[in-house]
Amino acid sequence: MPKHDTPLLDELEKGPWPSFVTDLKRQAEKKPECFDILGQLELSFKDRITHWKHGGIVGVFGYGGGIVGRYSDVPDQFPGVAHFHTVRLNQPSSKFYSSAKLRDICNLWEKYGSGMTNMHGSTGDLVLLGTTTPNLEPLFYELTHDLNQDLGGSGSNLRTPECCLGRARCEWGCYDTQALCHHLTMHYQDEIHRPAFPYKFKFKFSGCPNDCVAAIARSDFAVIGTWRDDIRIDQAAVKGYISGEFIPNAGAHSGKDWGKFDIKKEVLDLCPTECMWMEGDTLKIDNSECTRCMHCINVMPRALRPGLKQGATICVGAKAPILDGAQFATMTIPFIDVNPETEFEEVIEVIEKIWDWWMEVGKNRERVGETIMRVGLPTFLKVMEVTPVPQHIKEPRSNPYVFWQEDEVEGGFERDVKEFRKRNAQ
Amino acid sequence: MALSKDELKAAILEKALNAPKPQLYVKDFYACDPDAKPREVKNAANDLVKEGKMDFWSSGSTTMYAAKGRAKDEEHR
Ligand code: HEM
Ligand code: HEM
Ligand code: SF4
Ligand code: SF4
Repeated sequence: MPKHDTPLLDELEKGPWPSFVTDLKRQAEKKPECFDILGQLELSFKDRITHWKHGGIVGVFGYGGGIVGRYSDVPDQFPGVAHFHTVRLNQPSSKFYSSAKLRDICNLWEKYGSGMTNMHGSTGDLVLLGTTTPNLEPLFYELTHDLNQDLGGSGSNLRTPECCLGRARCEWGCYDTQALCHHLTMHYQDEIHRPAFPYKFKFKFSGCPNDCVAAIARSDFAVIGTWRDDIRIDQAAVKGYISGEFIPNAGAHSGKDWGKFDIKKEVLDLCPTECMWMEGDTLKIDNSECTRCMHCINVMPRALRPGLKQGATICVGAKAPILDGAQFATMTIPFIDVNPETEFEEVIEVIEKIWDWWMEVGKNRERVGETIMRVGLPTFLKVMEVTPVPQHIKEPRSNPYVFWQEDEVEGGFERDVKEFRKRNAQ
Repeated sequence: MALSKDELKAAILEKALNAPKPQLYVKDFYACDPDAKPREVKNAANDLVKEGKMDFWSSGSTTMYAAKGRAKDEEHR
Protein backbone atom coordinates (compact mmCIF):
# COMPACT_ATOMS: atom_id res chain seq x y z
CA MET A 1 0.00 0.00 0.00
CA PRO A 2 1.52 3.35 -1.01
CA LYS A 3 2.18 6.33 1.18
CA HIS A 4 -0.01 9.34 0.49
CA ASP A 5 1.02 12.98 0.57
CA THR A 6 -0.50 14.53 3.66
CA PRO A 7 0.54 18.19 3.89
CA LEU A 8 -2.51 19.16 6.01
CA LEU A 9 -2.06 16.32 8.51
CA ASP A 10 1.67 17.02 8.73
CA GLU A 11 0.79 20.38 10.28
CA LEU A 12 -0.58 18.43 13.25
CA GLU A 13 2.90 17.08 13.99
CA LYS A 14 4.39 20.53 14.53
CA GLY A 15 2.97 21.39 17.94
CA PRO A 16 4.66 20.62 21.25
CA TRP A 17 2.14 17.86 22.08
CA PRO A 18 2.19 14.18 21.07
CA SER A 19 0.60 13.72 17.65
CA PHE A 20 -1.66 10.94 16.48
CA VAL A 21 -0.32 11.60 12.98
CA THR A 22 3.17 10.63 14.12
CA ASP A 23 1.75 7.55 15.85
CA LEU A 24 -0.10 6.50 12.70
CA LYS A 25 2.97 6.96 10.52
CA ARG A 26 4.97 4.78 12.89
CA GLN A 27 2.26 2.13 12.99
CA ALA A 28 2.06 2.16 9.17
CA GLU A 29 5.59 0.70 9.03
CA LYS A 30 4.06 -2.46 10.53
CA LYS A 31 0.49 -2.16 9.28
CA PRO A 32 0.39 -0.50 5.85
CA GLU A 33 -3.39 0.06 6.02
CA CYS A 34 -2.54 2.93 8.37
CA PHE A 35 -1.24 4.83 5.32
CA ASP A 36 -4.78 4.68 3.99
CA ILE A 37 -6.20 6.07 7.25
CA LEU A 38 -3.89 9.05 6.83
CA GLY A 39 -4.76 9.35 3.14
CA GLN A 40 -8.51 9.27 3.75
CA LEU A 41 -8.29 11.75 6.63
CA GLU A 42 -6.25 14.12 4.45
CA LEU A 43 -8.97 13.87 1.80
CA SER A 44 -11.63 14.60 4.44
CA PHE A 45 -9.73 17.71 5.54
CA LYS A 46 -9.63 18.84 1.93
CA ASP A 47 -13.27 17.98 1.17
CA ARG A 48 -14.48 19.12 4.60
CA ILE A 49 -16.62 16.04 4.99
CA THR A 50 -16.12 12.61 6.51
CA HIS A 51 -15.46 9.69 4.20
CA TRP A 52 -16.56 7.08 6.76
CA LYS A 53 -19.86 5.28 6.38
CA HIS A 54 -21.07 3.58 9.47
CA GLY A 55 -23.56 0.92 10.44
CA GLY A 56 -24.61 -2.38 8.98
CA ILE A 57 -25.21 -5.96 9.95
CA VAL A 58 -21.65 -6.83 11.02
CA GLY A 59 -21.20 -8.52 14.37
CA VAL A 60 -20.37 -11.85 15.90
CA PHE A 61 -22.82 -14.71 16.17
CA GLY A 62 -25.25 -14.43 19.08
CA TYR A 63 -24.32 -10.83 19.86
CA GLY A 64 -26.18 -7.71 18.83
CA GLY A 65 -23.57 -5.20 19.92
CA GLY A 66 -19.92 -4.55 20.69
CA ILE A 67 -18.87 -4.16 17.07
CA VAL A 68 -19.57 -1.03 15.06
CA GLY A 69 -19.38 -1.43 11.30
CA ARG A 70 -17.26 1.19 9.52
CA TYR A 71 -16.63 1.45 5.80
CA SER A 72 -14.80 3.88 3.55
CA ASP A 73 -16.96 5.62 0.95
CA VAL A 74 -13.87 5.87 -1.29
CA PRO A 75 -12.62 2.25 -1.05
CA ASP A 76 -11.03 2.33 -4.49
CA GLN A 77 -8.67 5.08 -3.41
CA PHE A 78 -8.05 3.61 0.05
CA PRO A 79 -8.52 -0.17 -0.10
CA GLY A 80 -6.73 -0.65 3.24
CA VAL A 81 -9.68 0.92 5.03
CA ALA A 82 -12.52 -0.41 2.85
CA HIS A 83 -13.65 -2.20 6.04
CA PHE A 84 -12.54 -0.56 9.24
CA HIS A 85 -14.78 -1.89 12.00
CA THR A 86 -14.51 -0.78 15.61
CA VAL A 87 -14.52 -3.37 18.40
CA ARG A 88 -15.51 -2.44 21.96
CA LEU A 89 -14.20 -4.54 24.85
CA ASN A 90 -15.80 -4.41 28.28
CA GLN A 91 -13.15 -2.80 30.47
CA PRO A 92 -12.60 -4.17 33.98
CA SER A 93 -14.24 -2.17 36.80
CA SER A 94 -12.33 1.07 37.45
CA LYS A 95 -10.05 0.11 34.54
CA PHE A 96 -7.67 -1.92 36.70
CA TYR A 97 -5.70 -4.52 34.76
CA SER A 98 -2.17 -5.86 34.59
CA SER A 99 0.30 -4.72 31.95
CA ALA A 100 0.40 -8.39 30.85
CA LYS A 101 -3.31 -8.19 30.04
CA LEU A 102 -2.81 -5.01 28.02
CA ARG A 103 0.06 -6.63 26.11
CA ASP A 104 -2.14 -9.64 25.31
CA ILE A 105 -4.91 -7.39 24.00
CA CYS A 106 -2.46 -5.38 21.90
CA ASN A 107 -0.89 -8.54 20.47
CA LEU A 108 -4.30 -9.94 19.60
CA TRP A 109 -5.15 -6.69 17.88
CA GLU A 110 -1.87 -6.68 15.90
CA LYS A 111 -2.90 -10.14 14.73
CA TYR A 112 -6.50 -9.39 13.70
CA GLY A 113 -6.73 -5.62 13.35
CA SER A 114 -4.84 -2.42 12.55
CA GLY A 115 -3.04 -2.45 15.91
CA MET A 116 -4.57 0.93 16.67
CA THR A 117 -6.46 1.37 19.91
CA ASN A 118 -8.30 4.06 21.78
CA MET A 119 -7.82 3.49 25.49
CA HIS A 120 -10.19 4.25 26.74
CA GLY A 121 -12.96 5.35 24.50
CA SER A 122 -15.31 7.99 25.83
CA THR A 123 -17.72 5.10 26.36
CA GLY A 124 -15.24 3.67 28.89
CA ASP A 125 -14.55 0.55 26.83
CA LEU A 126 -11.18 -0.58 25.56
CA VAL A 127 -11.67 0.39 21.93
CA LEU A 128 -9.92 -1.45 19.11
CA LEU A 129 -9.98 0.47 15.84
CA GLY A 130 -10.03 -1.08 12.41
CA THR A 131 -10.58 -4.63 11.24
CA THR A 132 -12.35 -6.48 8.44
CA THR A 133 -15.52 -8.55 8.52
CA PRO A 134 -13.78 -11.95 8.05
CA ASN A 135 -11.49 -11.27 11.04
CA LEU A 136 -14.35 -10.71 13.51
CA GLU A 137 -15.21 -14.30 14.46
CA PRO A 138 -11.60 -15.52 14.95
CA LEU A 139 -10.84 -12.37 16.97
CA PHE A 140 -13.92 -12.94 19.13
CA TYR A 141 -13.02 -16.61 19.69
CA GLU A 142 -9.52 -15.84 20.96
CA LEU A 143 -10.71 -12.86 22.96
CA THR A 144 -13.26 -14.88 24.89
CA HIS A 145 -11.41 -18.22 25.10
CA ASP A 146 -7.76 -17.20 25.57
CA LEU A 147 -8.01 -13.71 27.05
CA ASN A 148 -11.17 -14.16 29.08
CA GLN A 149 -12.45 -10.77 27.88
CA ASP A 150 -15.89 -9.97 26.52
CA LEU A 151 -17.31 -7.40 24.12
CA GLY A 152 -19.00 -4.26 25.45
CA GLY A 153 -22.29 -2.66 24.45
CA SER A 154 -23.25 -0.61 21.40
CA GLY A 155 -26.43 0.23 19.48
CA SER A 156 -29.71 0.10 21.40
CA ASN A 157 -28.10 -2.02 24.10
CA LEU A 158 -27.26 -1.33 27.69
CA ARG A 159 -23.80 0.17 27.28
CA THR A 160 -20.76 -1.09 29.14
CA PRO A 161 -21.21 0.12 32.74
CA GLU A 162 -18.40 2.29 34.10
CA CYS A 163 -17.29 3.23 37.62
CA CYS A 164 -14.75 5.43 39.41
CA LEU A 165 -11.83 4.04 41.44
CA GLY A 166 -14.09 4.16 44.44
CA ARG A 167 -13.13 2.47 47.65
CA ALA A 168 -10.30 0.59 45.97
CA ARG A 169 -8.16 3.72 46.05
CA CYS A 170 -10.22 6.61 47.31
CA GLU A 171 -11.24 7.44 50.86
CA TRP A 172 -14.31 9.37 49.69
CA GLY A 173 -16.23 6.45 48.21
CA CYS A 174 -19.66 6.47 49.88
CA TYR A 175 -20.49 3.06 48.42
CA ASP A 176 -18.56 0.30 46.69
CA THR A 177 -18.73 1.46 43.07
CA GLN A 178 -16.79 -1.53 41.77
CA ALA A 179 -19.08 -4.03 43.47
CA LEU A 180 -22.21 -2.36 42.06
CA CYS A 181 -20.71 -1.95 38.58
CA HIS A 182 -19.57 -5.56 38.45
CA HIS A 183 -22.82 -6.91 39.84
CA LEU A 184 -24.99 -5.04 37.34
CA THR A 185 -22.66 -5.94 34.46
CA MET A 186 -23.17 -9.63 35.27
CA HIS A 187 -26.87 -9.23 36.07
CA TYR A 188 -27.62 -7.52 32.75
CA GLN A 189 -25.46 -9.54 30.34
CA ASP A 190 -28.40 -10.04 27.99
CA GLU A 191 -29.12 -6.30 27.83
CA ILE A 192 -25.41 -5.52 27.23
CA HIS A 193 -24.99 -8.00 24.38
CA ARG A 194 -28.34 -7.66 22.62
CA PRO A 195 -30.52 -4.65 21.83
CA ALA A 196 -33.18 -4.09 24.46
CA PHE A 197 -34.40 -0.51 24.24
CA PRO A 198 -35.69 2.29 21.98
CA TYR A 199 -32.13 3.68 22.09
CA LYS A 200 -28.89 3.44 24.05
CA PHE A 201 -28.91 3.36 27.86
CA LYS A 202 -25.89 4.04 30.07
CA PHE A 203 -25.11 3.38 33.73
CA LYS A 204 -22.25 5.16 35.45
CA PHE A 205 -21.17 4.95 39.07
CA SER A 206 -19.29 7.58 41.09
CA GLY A 207 -18.47 7.06 44.74
CA CYS A 208 -18.96 10.69 45.78
CA PRO A 209 -20.18 14.02 44.34
CA ASN A 210 -16.72 14.71 42.83
CA ASP A 211 -18.14 12.38 40.18
CA CYS A 212 -14.86 11.30 38.61
CA VAL A 213 -16.61 9.37 35.80
CA ALA A 214 -18.82 12.40 35.02
CA ALA A 215 -21.90 10.23 35.53
CA ILE A 216 -24.18 13.25 35.84
CA ALA A 217 -23.21 14.48 32.38
CA ARG A 218 -22.77 11.21 30.54
CA SER A 219 -25.25 8.62 31.73
CA ASP A 220 -28.94 7.92 31.59
CA PHE A 221 -28.66 6.41 35.04
CA ALA A 222 -26.08 8.07 37.31
CA VAL A 223 -25.46 6.64 40.77
CA ILE A 224 -23.51 9.20 42.78
CA GLY A 225 -22.36 8.51 46.34
CA THR A 226 -23.53 10.79 49.15
CA TRP A 227 -24.24 10.86 52.88
CA ARG A 228 -27.28 11.84 54.95
CA ASP A 229 -25.70 12.80 58.26
CA ASP A 230 -23.10 15.45 59.12
CA ILE A 231 -19.68 16.07 57.56
CA ARG A 232 -17.13 14.69 60.02
CA ILE A 233 -14.89 17.48 61.34
CA ASP A 234 -11.50 17.10 63.01
CA GLN A 235 -11.14 20.56 64.60
CA ALA A 236 -7.44 20.01 65.43
CA ALA A 237 -6.75 19.40 61.73
CA VAL A 238 -8.75 22.54 60.81
CA LYS A 239 -6.35 24.50 63.02
CA GLY A 240 -3.46 22.66 61.31
CA TYR A 241 -4.60 24.00 57.92
CA ILE A 242 -5.06 27.53 59.32
CA SER A 243 -1.58 27.54 60.85
CA GLY A 244 -0.01 26.25 57.65
CA GLU A 245 0.99 22.89 59.11
CA PHE A 246 -1.02 21.05 56.41
CA ILE A 247 -0.98 21.97 52.73
CA PRO A 248 -4.51 22.65 51.34
CA ASN A 249 -5.92 20.54 48.48
CA ALA A 250 -3.32 17.91 49.42
CA GLY A 251 -0.79 20.02 47.52
CA ALA A 252 -2.65 19.90 44.21
CA HIS A 253 -2.14 23.64 43.65
CA SER A 254 1.23 24.00 45.39
CA GLY A 255 2.88 25.36 42.23
CA LYS A 256 0.66 28.47 42.42
CA ASP A 257 1.52 31.44 44.61
CA TRP A 258 -1.72 32.10 46.40
CA GLY A 259 -0.04 33.22 49.61
CA LYS A 260 -0.85 31.84 53.03
CA PHE A 261 -3.94 29.62 53.30
CA ASP A 262 -6.99 31.75 54.10
CA ILE A 263 -9.89 29.60 55.29
CA LYS A 264 -12.40 32.41 54.78
CA LYS A 265 -11.38 33.13 51.21
CA GLU A 266 -10.71 29.57 50.09
CA VAL A 267 -13.39 27.62 51.93
CA LEU A 268 -16.12 29.58 53.78
CA ASP A 269 -16.72 32.14 51.01
CA LEU A 270 -16.73 29.46 48.31
CA CYS A 271 -19.31 27.22 49.97
CA PRO A 272 -22.16 27.47 47.44
CA THR A 273 -24.87 27.42 50.10
CA GLU A 274 -22.99 29.70 52.53
CA CYS A 275 -23.53 27.19 55.30
CA MET A 276 -20.08 27.35 56.89
CA TRP A 277 -18.67 29.80 59.43
CA MET A 278 -16.04 30.12 62.15
CA GLU A 279 -16.85 30.60 65.81
CA GLY A 280 -13.49 31.68 67.17
CA ASP A 281 -11.21 28.99 65.84
CA THR A 282 -13.93 26.35 65.63
CA LEU A 283 -15.39 25.49 62.20
CA LYS A 284 -19.18 25.21 62.09
CA ILE A 285 -21.36 23.72 59.32
CA ASP A 286 -25.12 23.92 59.01
CA ASN A 287 -25.44 20.45 57.47
CA SER A 288 -29.13 20.85 56.65
CA GLU A 289 -28.11 23.50 54.08
CA CYS A 290 -25.05 21.65 52.70
CA THR A 291 -25.53 20.42 49.11
CA ARG A 292 -22.66 17.90 49.35
CA CYS A 293 -20.63 19.79 46.77
CA MET A 294 -17.35 18.37 48.21
CA HIS A 295 -15.49 21.69 47.94
CA CYS A 296 -14.57 22.03 51.61
CA ILE A 297 -13.63 18.35 51.83
CA ASN A 298 -11.42 18.60 48.74
CA VAL A 299 -9.58 21.61 50.21
CA MET A 300 -9.10 20.18 53.70
CA PRO A 301 -9.15 16.38 53.38
CA ARG A 302 -7.42 15.83 56.73
CA ALA A 303 -9.98 17.88 58.59
CA LEU A 304 -13.25 17.06 56.81
CA ARG A 305 -14.74 13.78 55.68
CA PRO A 306 -18.12 12.67 54.32
CA GLY A 307 -20.59 11.55 56.98
CA LEU A 308 -21.10 7.95 57.98
CA LYS A 309 -24.71 7.32 56.85
CA GLN A 310 -23.64 6.65 53.29
CA GLY A 311 -25.50 5.70 50.14
CA ALA A 312 -26.18 7.32 46.80
CA THR A 313 -28.29 9.82 44.89
CA ILE A 314 -29.74 8.66 41.58
CA CYS A 315 -29.88 11.15 38.72
CA VAL A 316 -31.63 10.22 35.48
CA GLY A 317 -31.41 11.38 31.89
CA ALA A 318 -28.12 12.96 30.80
CA LYS A 319 -27.28 13.02 27.13
CA ALA A 320 -24.92 14.59 24.63
CA PRO A 321 -26.27 17.02 22.03
CA ILE A 322 -27.79 15.15 19.11
CA LEU A 323 -31.10 16.79 18.18
CA ASP A 324 -31.52 19.06 21.21
CA GLY A 325 -28.70 20.42 23.31
CA ALA A 326 -26.68 18.55 25.89
CA GLN A 327 -28.47 17.84 29.12
CA PHE A 328 -27.39 16.92 32.64
CA ALA A 329 -29.15 14.17 34.56
CA THR A 330 -31.99 15.25 36.83
CA MET A 331 -31.92 14.34 40.49
CA THR A 332 -34.64 11.73 40.89
CA ILE A 333 -33.99 9.61 43.98
CA PRO A 334 -32.41 11.81 46.66
CA PHE A 335 -31.03 8.91 48.70
CA ILE A 336 -30.86 5.17 48.24
CA ASP A 337 -29.08 2.41 50.12
CA VAL A 338 -26.45 0.68 48.00
CA ASN A 339 -26.31 -2.63 49.72
CA PRO A 340 -24.31 -5.66 48.51
CA GLU A 341 -26.09 -7.85 51.06
CA THR A 342 -29.40 -7.50 49.22
CA GLU A 343 -27.55 -7.90 45.90
CA PHE A 344 -28.39 -4.24 45.28
CA GLU A 345 -32.08 -5.02 44.87
CA GLU A 346 -33.06 -1.43 45.83
CA VAL A 347 -31.06 -0.08 42.87
CA ILE A 348 -32.28 -2.80 40.51
CA GLU A 349 -35.88 -1.99 41.38
CA VAL A 350 -35.36 1.64 40.34
CA ILE A 351 -33.63 0.64 37.09
CA GLU A 352 -36.42 -1.70 36.04
CA LYS A 353 -39.13 0.78 36.89
CA ILE A 354 -37.45 3.24 34.49
CA TRP A 355 -36.95 0.63 31.79
CA ASP A 356 -40.52 -0.70 31.90
CA TRP A 357 -41.85 2.82 31.50
CA TRP A 358 -39.34 4.09 28.92
CA MET A 359 -39.63 0.99 26.70
CA GLU A 360 -43.37 1.64 26.56
CA VAL A 361 -43.45 5.44 26.31
CA GLY A 362 -40.06 6.37 24.80
CA LYS A 363 -40.04 7.08 21.06
CA ASN A 364 -37.59 5.47 18.67
CA ARG A 365 -34.15 7.02 19.17
CA GLU A 366 -35.29 9.02 22.17
CA ARG A 367 -33.01 8.96 25.24
CA VAL A 368 -34.80 8.61 28.56
CA GLY A 369 -33.85 12.21 29.44
CA GLU A 370 -35.69 13.40 26.33
CA THR A 371 -38.72 11.31 27.23
CA ILE A 372 -38.74 12.97 30.66
CA MET A 373 -38.51 16.43 29.06
CA ARG A 374 -41.40 15.55 26.76
CA VAL A 375 -43.80 14.26 29.41
CA GLY A 376 -42.60 16.57 32.19
CA LEU A 377 -40.85 15.82 35.44
CA PRO A 378 -44.06 15.50 37.53
CA THR A 379 -45.28 12.67 35.29
CA PHE A 380 -41.92 10.94 35.55
CA LEU A 381 -41.83 11.31 39.34
CA LYS A 382 -45.29 9.74 39.49
CA VAL A 383 -44.09 6.79 37.43
CA MET A 384 -41.15 6.45 39.79
CA GLU A 385 -43.51 6.77 42.78
CA VAL A 386 -41.36 9.58 44.16
CA THR A 387 -42.93 12.44 46.14
CA PRO A 388 -41.57 15.76 44.87
CA VAL A 389 -39.26 17.58 47.28
CA PRO A 390 -38.00 21.17 46.94
CA GLN A 391 -34.65 19.87 45.62
CA HIS A 392 -36.42 18.59 42.51
CA ILE A 393 -36.93 22.24 41.51
CA LYS A 394 -34.04 24.34 40.30
CA GLU A 395 -35.25 27.50 41.95
CA PRO A 396 -38.62 28.87 43.11
CA ARG A 397 -40.86 30.69 40.64
CA SER A 398 -38.65 30.53 37.51
CA ASN A 399 -39.63 26.94 36.74
CA PRO A 400 -42.64 25.99 38.83
CA TYR A 401 -43.09 22.68 37.06
CA VAL A 402 -44.66 20.75 39.90
CA PHE A 403 -48.38 21.48 39.77
CA TRP A 404 -51.45 20.48 41.71
CA GLN A 405 -53.25 17.43 40.42
CA GLU A 406 -57.03 17.51 40.19
CA ASP A 407 -57.54 14.95 42.96
CA GLU A 408 -55.43 17.07 45.32
CA VAL A 409 -57.78 20.07 44.94
CA GLU A 410 -60.95 20.26 46.96
CA GLY A 411 -63.86 19.98 44.53
CA GLY A 412 -61.56 19.21 41.57
CA PHE A 413 -60.95 21.51 38.59
CA GLU A 414 -64.61 21.51 37.53
CA ARG A 415 -66.07 22.89 40.73
CA ASP A 416 -68.44 25.85 40.68
CA VAL A 417 -66.06 28.78 40.99
CA LYS A 418 -68.84 31.35 41.45
CA GLU A 419 -70.14 29.36 44.39
CA PHE A 420 -66.63 29.16 45.85
CA ARG A 421 -66.00 32.90 45.41
CA LYS A 422 -69.16 33.81 47.28
CA ARG A 423 -67.11 33.23 50.40
CA ASN A 424 -65.09 36.33 49.52
CA ALA A 425 -68.00 38.46 48.46
CA GLN A 426 -68.24 41.74 50.35
CA MET B 1 -55.41 -12.13 25.31
CA ALA B 2 -51.65 -12.26 25.00
CA LEU B 3 -50.16 -14.41 22.27
CA SER B 4 -47.95 -17.37 23.14
CA LYS B 5 -44.25 -16.83 22.56
CA ASP B 6 -44.33 -18.85 19.32
CA GLU B 7 -47.36 -16.95 18.02
CA LEU B 8 -45.65 -13.67 18.90
CA LYS B 9 -42.49 -14.72 17.05
CA ALA B 10 -44.53 -15.72 14.00
CA ALA B 11 -46.30 -12.33 14.02
CA ILE B 12 -42.99 -10.47 14.32
CA LEU B 13 -41.43 -12.40 11.46
CA GLU B 14 -44.51 -11.86 9.32
CA LYS B 15 -44.23 -8.11 9.90
CA ALA B 16 -40.47 -8.08 9.23
CA LEU B 17 -40.97 -9.93 5.95
CA ASN B 18 -43.82 -7.76 4.68
CA ALA B 19 -43.22 -4.27 6.04
CA PRO B 20 -42.48 -1.69 3.30
CA LYS B 21 -39.24 -0.72 5.08
CA PRO B 22 -36.70 -3.55 5.40
CA GLN B 23 -35.38 -2.32 8.78
CA LEU B 24 -37.69 -1.93 11.76
CA TYR B 25 -37.33 -0.64 15.29
CA VAL B 26 -38.20 -2.94 18.17
CA LYS B 27 -41.12 -0.60 18.91
CA ASP B 28 -42.56 -1.33 15.48
CA PHE B 29 -43.19 -4.88 16.72
CA TYR B 30 -45.09 -3.85 19.86
CA ALA B 31 -48.29 -3.76 17.80
CA CYS B 32 -47.87 -7.49 17.02
CA ASP B 33 -49.30 -8.10 20.48
CA PRO B 34 -50.58 -5.04 22.33
CA ASP B 35 -50.97 -7.16 25.47
CA ALA B 36 -47.31 -8.24 25.59
CA LYS B 37 -44.79 -6.32 27.68
CA PRO B 38 -42.13 -4.48 25.66
CA ARG B 39 -39.48 -6.78 27.12
CA GLU B 40 -41.35 -9.89 25.93
CA VAL B 41 -41.49 -8.46 22.40
CA LYS B 42 -37.79 -7.59 22.55
CA ASN B 43 -36.91 -11.10 23.74
CA ALA B 44 -38.99 -12.72 21.00
CA ALA B 45 -37.33 -10.54 18.32
CA ASN B 46 -33.86 -11.35 19.70
CA ASP B 47 -34.74 -15.06 19.64
CA LEU B 48 -35.51 -14.81 15.94
CA VAL B 49 -32.04 -13.36 15.38
CA LYS B 50 -30.51 -16.27 17.34
CA GLU B 51 -32.46 -18.66 15.13
CA GLY B 52 -31.04 -17.00 12.03
CA LYS B 53 -34.43 -15.74 10.78
CA MET B 54 -33.70 -12.06 11.36
CA ASP B 55 -30.59 -9.84 11.42
CA PHE B 56 -29.61 -6.95 13.62
CA TRP B 57 -28.84 -3.81 11.67
CA SER B 58 -26.91 -1.29 13.78
CA SER B 59 -25.89 2.28 13.00
CA GLY B 60 -23.54 2.10 15.96
CA SER B 61 -25.92 4.08 18.13
CA THR B 62 -29.27 2.46 17.31
CA THR B 63 -30.11 -1.13 16.49
CA MET B 64 -32.88 -2.21 14.14
CA TYR B 65 -34.22 -5.57 12.98
CA ALA B 66 -34.61 -6.97 9.48
CA ALA B 67 -35.81 -10.29 8.12
CA LYS B 68 -32.79 -12.34 7.00
CA GLY B 69 -31.47 -11.01 3.72
CA ARG B 70 -33.60 -7.84 3.65
CA ALA B 71 -31.12 -5.48 5.30
CA LYS B 72 -28.44 -3.96 3.11
CA ASP B 73 -24.98 -3.72 4.56
CA GLU B 74 -23.34 -0.30 4.25
CA GLU B 75 -20.62 -1.92 2.21
CA HIS B 76 -23.13 -2.50 -0.57
CA ARG B 77 -25.00 0.79 -0.45
C1 HEM C 1 -47.42 48.81 49.48
C2 HEM C 1 -47.86 48.09 48.49
C3 HEM C 1 -47.54 46.65 48.27
C4 HEM C 1 -46.92 45.75 49.05
C5 HEM C 1 -46.36 45.94 50.47
C6 HEM C 1 -46.88 44.53 48.34
C7 HEM C 1 -46.30 43.35 48.82
C8 HEM C 1 -46.25 42.19 48.12
C9 HEM C 1 -45.65 40.97 48.60
C10 HEM C 1 -44.98 40.78 49.94
C11 HEM C 1 -45.78 40.03 47.63
C12 HEM C 1 -45.29 38.59 47.68
C13 HEM C 1 -43.98 38.45 46.96
C14 HEM C 1 -43.56 36.99 46.82
O1 HEM C 1 -44.37 36.09 47.04
O2 HEM C 1 -42.41 36.77 46.46
C15 HEM C 1 -46.44 40.65 46.52
C16 HEM C 1 -46.72 40.01 45.35
C17 HEM C 1 -47.43 40.61 44.32
N1 HEM C 1 -47.87 41.90 44.29
FE1 HEM C 1 -47.66 43.28 45.65
N2 HEM C 1 -47.46 44.68 47.14
C18 HEM C 1 -47.86 45.99 47.04
C19 HEM C 1 -48.50 46.59 45.99
C20 HEM C 1 -48.87 45.93 44.82
C21 HEM C 1 -49.58 46.55 43.71
C22 HEM C 1 -50.03 48.02 43.70
C23 HEM C 1 -49.73 45.58 42.75
C24 HEM C 1 -50.38 45.64 41.38
C25 HEM C 1 -50.78 46.74 40.76
C26 HEM C 1 -49.12 44.39 43.26
C27 HEM C 1 -49.07 43.19 42.55
C28 HEM C 1 -48.50 42.07 43.05
C29 HEM C 1 -48.44 40.84 42.31
C30 HEM C 1 -48.99 40.60 40.90
C31 HEM C 1 -47.73 39.91 43.09
C32 HEM C 1 -47.40 38.49 42.75
C33 HEM C 1 -45.99 38.48 42.24
C34 HEM C 1 -45.50 37.09 42.02
O3 HEM C 1 -46.23 36.13 42.32
O4 HEM C 1 -44.35 36.94 41.58
N3 HEM C 1 -48.63 44.63 44.52
N4 HEM C 1 -46.74 41.95 46.84
C1 HEM D 1 -50.09 38.39 26.03
C2 HEM D 1 -49.97 38.83 27.22
C3 HEM D 1 -49.29 38.07 28.34
C4 HEM D 1 -48.48 36.98 28.32
C5 HEM D 1 -48.01 36.16 27.12
C6 HEM D 1 -48.10 36.69 29.67
C7 HEM D 1 -47.28 35.62 30.05
C8 HEM D 1 -46.94 35.37 31.34
C9 HEM D 1 -46.12 34.28 31.75
C10 HEM D 1 -45.46 33.24 30.82
C11 HEM D 1 -46.00 34.32 33.09
C12 HEM D 1 -45.21 33.38 33.98
C13 HEM D 1 -46.12 32.29 34.50
C14 HEM D 1 -45.37 31.35 35.41
O1 HEM D 1 -44.15 31.23 35.32
O2 HEM D 1 -46.03 30.72 36.22
C15 HEM D 1 -46.78 35.43 33.56
C16 HEM D 1 -46.90 35.77 34.85
C17 HEM D 1 -47.64 36.87 35.27
N1 HEM D 1 -48.33 37.77 34.48
FE1 HEM D 1 -48.52 37.69 32.50
N2 HEM D 1 -48.67 37.60 30.49
C18 HEM D 1 -49.40 38.47 29.71
C19 HEM D 1 -50.13 39.55 30.10
C20 HEM D 1 -50.24 39.96 31.44
C21 HEM D 1 -50.99 41.12 31.88
C22 HEM D 1 -51.76 42.07 30.96
C23 HEM D 1 -50.84 41.18 33.25
C24 HEM D 1 -51.37 42.16 34.27
C25 HEM D 1 -52.20 43.15 34.02
C26 HEM D 1 -50.01 40.05 33.64
C27 HEM D 1 -49.67 39.78 34.93
C28 HEM D 1 -48.90 38.72 35.29
C29 HEM D 1 -48.56 38.44 36.66
C30 HEM D 1 -48.99 39.21 37.91
C31 HEM D 1 -47.77 37.27 36.66
C32 HEM D 1 -47.17 36.59 37.85
C33 HEM D 1 -48.13 35.51 38.31
C34 HEM D 1 -47.58 34.70 39.46
O3 HEM D 1 -46.43 34.22 39.34
O4 HEM D 1 -48.28 34.54 40.43
N3 HEM D 1 -49.69 39.35 32.52
N4 HEM D 1 -47.33 36.05 32.46
S1 SF4 E 1 -15.92 10.03 42.43
FE1 SF4 E 1 -15.41 10.42 44.58
S2 SF4 E 1 -15.13 8.35 45.42
FE2 SF4 E 1 -14.96 8.13 43.18
S3 SF4 E 1 -12.74 8.35 42.80
FE3 SF4 E 1 -13.69 10.37 42.53
S4 SF4 E 1 -13.37 11.38 44.51
FE4 SF4 E 1 -13.11 9.17 44.86
S1 SF4 F 1 -19.71 20.22 50.94
FE1 SF4 F 1 -19.99 22.11 49.78
S2 SF4 F 1 -22.06 22.80 50.40
FE2 SF4 F 1 -21.38 21.31 51.93
S3 SF4 F 1 -20.41 22.54 53.55
FE3 SF4 F 1 -18.78 21.88 52.16
S4 SF4 F 1 -18.56 23.60 50.72
FE4 SF4 F 1 -20.55 23.85 51.72
